[in-house]
Amino acid sequence: MKTVLIHPERCIGCKQCEAACAVAHSQSKSLFWAVFETPPPKPRIHAEPGLLLNTSFPNKCRHCNPAPCQMACPTAAIYRSQDFPEIVQINEQRCIACGMCAVVCPFDVITYHASPAAPERPLVAIKCNQCIERQRQGLEPACVEACKVGALAFGELNELLKAQRVRYTHAVLAGAQAEETPAQVPANVSAWRGWGAVVAGLNEDGKKGV
Amino acid sequence: MTVISGNGFKKRSINVDTQAMLEIAHKQGIPTVWERLEAQQPQCGYCNLGTSCRICAMGPCRVDPFGDGPQKGVCGADADIIVARNLARMVAAGAASHSDHGRDILETLHHVGEGHTDAYTISDPAKLRRLAAEYHIATEGKSDQQVAKELAWEMMEDYGMRRQQLPLSLRAPQARQELWKKLGVMPRGVDWENVETLHRTHMGVDNDWVNILLHSARNALSDGWGGSMLATELSDVLFGVPTPKMSQVNLGVLKASHVNIILHGHNPMLSEVIVAASQDPELLALAKAKGAQGINLAGLCCTGNEVLMRKGIPMAGNHLMQELAIMTGAVELMVVDYQCIMPAVTETARCFHTKVVSTFDKARFPGAEHISFDPGRGLEIGKQIVRLAVENFSKRVPERVIIPVQPAPMMTGFSIEAILQALGGTPQPLIDAIVKGNIRGAVGIVGCNNPKIKQDLGHTELTKRLIENDILVVVTGCATVADGKAGLMTPQAAEKAGPGLRAVCQALGIPPVLHLGSCVDNTRILVLAAALANTLGVDISALPLAGAAPEWYSEKAVAIGVYVVASGIYTVLGVAPPVFGSPNVVKLLTEGLEGVFGATFAVEADPDRAAALIRRHIEKKRAGLGLEALDPGSIPLPEAQLALA
Repeated sequence: MKTVLIHPERCIGCKQCEAACAVAHSQSKSLFWAVFETPPPKPRIHAEPGLLLNTSFPNKCRHCNPAPCQMACPTAAIYRSQDFPEIVQINEQRCIACGMCAVVCPFDVITYHASPAAPERPLVAIKCNQCIERQRQGLEPACVEACKVGALAFGELNELLKAQRVRYTHAVLAGAQAEETPAQVPANVSAWRGWGAVVAGLNEDGKKGV
Repeated sequence: MTVISGNGFKKRSINVDTQAMLEIAHKQGIPTVWERLEAQQPQCGYCNLGTSCRICAMGPCRVDPFGDGPQKGVCGADADIIVARNLARMVAAGAASHSDHGRDILETLHHVGEGHTDAYTISDPAKLRRLAAEYHIATEGKSDQQVAKELAWEMMEDYGMRRQQLPLSLRAPQARQELWKKLGVMPRGVDWENVETLHRTHMGVDNDWVNILLHSARNALSDGWGGSMLATELSDVLFGVPTPKMSQVNLGVLKASHVNIILHGHNPMLSEVIVAASQDPELLALAKAKGAQGINLAGLCCTGNEVLMRKGIPMAGNHLMQELAIMTGAVELMVVDYQCIMPAVTETARCFHTKVVSTFDKARFPGAEHISFDPGRGLEIGKQIVRLAVENFSKRVPERVIIPVQPAPMMTGFSIEAILQALGGTPQPLIDAIVKGNIRGAVGIVGCNNPKIKQDLGHTELTKRLIENDILVVVTGCATVADGKAGLMTPQAAEKAGPGLRAVCQALGIPPVLHLGSCVDNTRILVLAAALANTLGVDISALPLAGAAPEWYSEKAVAIGVYVVASGIYTVLGVAPPVFGSPNVVKLLTEGLEGVFGATFAVEADPDRAAALIRRHIEKKRAGLGLEALDPGSIPLPEAQLALA
């Protein structure tokens, strides 16, 4: 099963995934035209901030199977295609914006916006469709293509996890053997995040200065 | 980061007046800088790390700081080049801002020399003549006006390309000048260095990141020993050399019974005429007729610092107070010149009766009334603006007026001339106190507010740790308001200092924290450092001095930081500059520069830790001068307090 695996320690909060996602789901598929479209295209991936400054997590549909949203939808607007059965999709024409899918979604990644696919409705449920149109053309999802720090990786889930396991193994063995090996997070990025952690600590309620 | 009300506001600021106004903003649904910061989270990591490049249209490009993604931009620039180019452009923007401010003051001096203004005159002829001597202008038998004319003409050349060295840089110790020459960073022309930075950082010009940063140092020096210094010196000539005086600070300086005018921005030209216009009998009578008891002026940001230093005009607040001051509902008019005036100000003003008046053609604010400033008829314009304020008093809604605190007293006006006078005419008593160890050293705490740091926490905590340990603190800019509100800037605050510094302050009747002025007035720190170094016959880098910018936000602060370090003064930044994407640049700034300028940067947000770093540095420098000194390693570096530890 192909999926998008997230490495939160790599996310630096640039939100380029969000912009690329909105463009991929726009009518024009062009950043420069997309900004003039009505309704404005919306991202289906959401890089929200963590508790500490300089941390963030790109959150999107995990395409559960069975999918709670699909089971809860009273109008059967949530479905799967035969060619990509692992992808949970929304038929916006059938959506009545009742919000049930969002209620049961474990990841809070379903949002409600106007859509050109259902022009007569003010709002419909919008969520990641794993860029099924791009996949049909042999492309990877737009968010993954936009992510240059490797916070989003696309592929067979088990292969992605194996790659992670191998990296982890190297790190463990390097620790055991005091071998020179690149750290998971480079020192300069750790220093930058460390600054954010200190600032968050200073600003904590009641601790200092008031 | 989610903060809603009550105790939440204590996460944003240490100040009672800020917290009270945030409560009001929340109740009335008026967004502030803190909500906008929250809405921006997470902020782009490439931009934060300095590894995004928007310089050309082959880009925009970014370098993956984790090493797996792209490591070079389309042109081939790596993280080092991209970070260096971005930093250099920040320095250029900062230097340009100070220097263009200096240019406006210089132009005013020129107008005075030509006799083209009714509003300005030479307030300090002695300083005018001292400066003229530095520019080799014969002054004997010439009128002040003639000297002003010749000096202005000569100083205009500082912005040109005929010089090989800016004349004011001759004030630096000989050893420092030799070093600058050897490194090829001697500042030549104010505009020249700025333009050259823009040229060098165009794609395909200076591709050596070290060479870019060296020029950036020269660019910053052209600000510190050029544009900024010129702004300070000429403001003293035109508006008077500041002398010590008491004033007041915080939102309590606004008066419910008066017409309140806030002077916001950086350039003192206009605010000086407003001060004059606000005393106009006709306008005062009009204010009375409208039911006000008088006309009250209050400063904000560095325009506030300028009129506080020279005229003792009370200070309403620093950078993060600009929206909150309007929310008192007691401000009839906010007159703005330029720099650090948030575009949000006019939007906030629309929720109240407050008028915003912009005055410089180069700084327009949609939603503000624009009254183009013309030094030729300055007083007339000043009166026009004050009249607008007085007439607006009738539109005030008394029920919405909330002035949450009583003003705090503070002492101001410590120009170098005033400090020397307090010391009896020479820096020798200060040097003696440092030699004896009563004063361990001196630190300039400067720079802005930044909503990422709890407002004024960085300034005040660092100041307290330093004075407790007998380190004299001088402040400029937003740090002034922070320390003033915290009660650290009265002669009585000497009690909060260590025994050595306390005794010196009590003997002289001065606070342990001296107000040197606005952000261009950081050049007063350079002048004082140079005077101390010259008296001792050493370079500035040998002195037990340091700088700190605990809550900086602006490009101008970057320029200041670079000229301070390039002048030989160790500087601790509380906010991480966008350079962490290049380990090489970080290493150069925090270690390598020691072997270049004899001073480095450090980044430390925790004020207790910053104080320890500074104390260690000062003791190291004391030992270097052969003075009694502590072992730097014996000063403990406290653990950082982490939110999720």
